[in-house]
Amino acid sequence: MSMEIIHVDLDRSYPPRPTETTKIFWDAIAAGQFKTTRCTSCGKMTFPPKPICPHCWSDSMEWADLSGKGTLYSRTIIHAAPAIFAKEAPIHFGIIDLEEGIRIATRIWDMEPLDIGSPMRIVTLQYNDGPLFAARKA
Amino acid sequence: MTHRVAVMAVSATPVGKIQTPEDAELHTLEHEVMAKLVVEAMRDSGMDKKDVDSLVFAMCRPYTRQKYFSTFMASYLQLPCHGTVMEALGNGMTGGIALEQATRDVESGRAKVALALGVNFESQTPSGEHMNSSMRTTGDVDFHTIFGVTPIAWYAMDAMRYIHEYGSSRRELANVAVKSRYHASLNPIAQYRKPITLDEVMAQREIVEPLGLYEVPPRGDGAVCAVLCREDIAKASGRPYALIKGRGFYHEGAHQISEVPNDMIAFKSIQVASGKAYEQAGVKAGDMDFAELYAPCTIVEVLASEAMGLCERGKGGKDAESGATTLGGRIPISTSGGLMSRGHPAYVTPLYILHEVFQQLVGRAGERQVKDARLGAMSSELGNYNAALVQVLEAVR
Ligand SMILES: [Zn+2]
Repeated sequence: MSMEIIHVDLDRSYPPRPTETTKIFWDAIAAGQFKTTRCTSCGKMTFPPKPICPHCWSDSMEWADLSGKGTLYSRTIIHAAPAIFAKEAPIHFGIIDLEEGIRIATRIWDMEPLDIGSPMRIVTLQYNDGPLFAARKA
Repeated sequence: MTHRVAVMAVSATPVGKIQTPEDAELHTLEHEVMAKLVVEAMRDSGMDKKDVDSLVFAMCRPYTRQKYFSTFMASYLQLPCHGTVMEALGNGMTGGIALEQATRDVESGRAKVALALGVNFESQTPSGEHMNSSMRTTGDVDFHTIFGVTPIAWYAMDAMRYIHEYGSSRRELANVAVKSRYHASLNPIAQYRKPITLDEVMAQREIVEPLGLYEVPPRGDGAVCAVLCREDIAKASGRPYALIKGRGFYHEGAHQISEVPNDMIAFKSIQVASGKAYEQAGVKAGDMDFAELYAPCTIVEVLASEAMGLCERGKGGKDAESGATTLGGRIPISTSGGLMSRGHPAYVTPLYILHEVFQQLVGRAGERQVKDARLGAMSSELGNYNAALVQVLEAVR
């Protein structure tokens, strides 16, 4: 399933640094796909994607698709942002519990305040210089 | 053989703007401020310079010029040491780790007397610029910082969740800020001392929803020197002291947020750390006469006091509203004015917390003295209370 791709006419304020592992994740995000690493020993997924399993310390990892669906656990609006992010303030930010049992924190793309417990979906933010992701009300 | 550890003296500068601009004609410099405090604290403690064998510093902010501050100070003070000369760093817990290491040195016999000390200068660096650095301290720089999240945003999300789960409100939590300011109005070293009303707290500009300017910590400079020694030496001195009766530490193995969903506002780390500290001290939460907590925002004080068993779960906000946590109430919390009003020179904040606990236990807290204060608990933390360090201290007079 492909995620919504939203074009943002800005450069990313503080871009992530791709590694051999996370480049695969960011390339997938750019293509509208949300995935992470899963341990082939204990079967647990981890996020962000990692070359090792934080649960059983195995180094045998594979990629697995995430549904991109979850629930809003908490959220905030950051009015006083770091100088680097001043042009993007106020910043809507939240914690999402994905249906796969993983908790992530990410940008929220809806500008109206959302109720805690709202169903959410992950989207791609396509900035001029590369991708990020965010959550929107489903 | 291990030794019991006493706190004999704690000296601190008033919190506020101490650092001078780069182009000042006359500077106020970190080492002179620190050296004066060492001399003052040692005089107050009645201890001998020759017995000091450990200098454990809270690391300085990157905004001070002198590096390798600990060894520089050992020289500046002409102090050979058999124990430890070092700088500790552990986010907000930095000063707490300095205290813990100094305690261990006395406990293990490596030092008869140990100093836990530090200076935090940062007021000459504007907040926006400071946040360019502090945003890299919380969360994952490649998966959280990329969105512009700030350290206190995580506490704000605690508040939103608490309000959602317990039917609390920003207004209920804001009582903590009013109470803190009242306490600070009685504290000569507090950064903000003018009493404020609930309406004034609610009227401040929003910093991070649902917290406004008075519900988050100010920035400031400060310096503290604490003198610790073996209890037998403290006893022989005939002076009043505070005995470190119990200590607990716990890190939950998560940095800011657990990728495995948990009860984020249960603050498990301080639950566990305080449980260990109470157990070692042979006391219960209910035995505390007061507590001085590391709580940068209104919500953090509420959650930490609930997790320590000082308030019932979900009732911490109501306890602030009813005055249960105010001086004269059931369990006075942060009689110094706490981080929001006493001030928060972050790396030495835990040593300011010790300063207040000490003042209370030796009966020198003046107008904010907790009557018959015998047992007090203190905390320091890092992240979103991902780790906590708790000490229980007892008055020996
Ligand atoms: Zn595994």
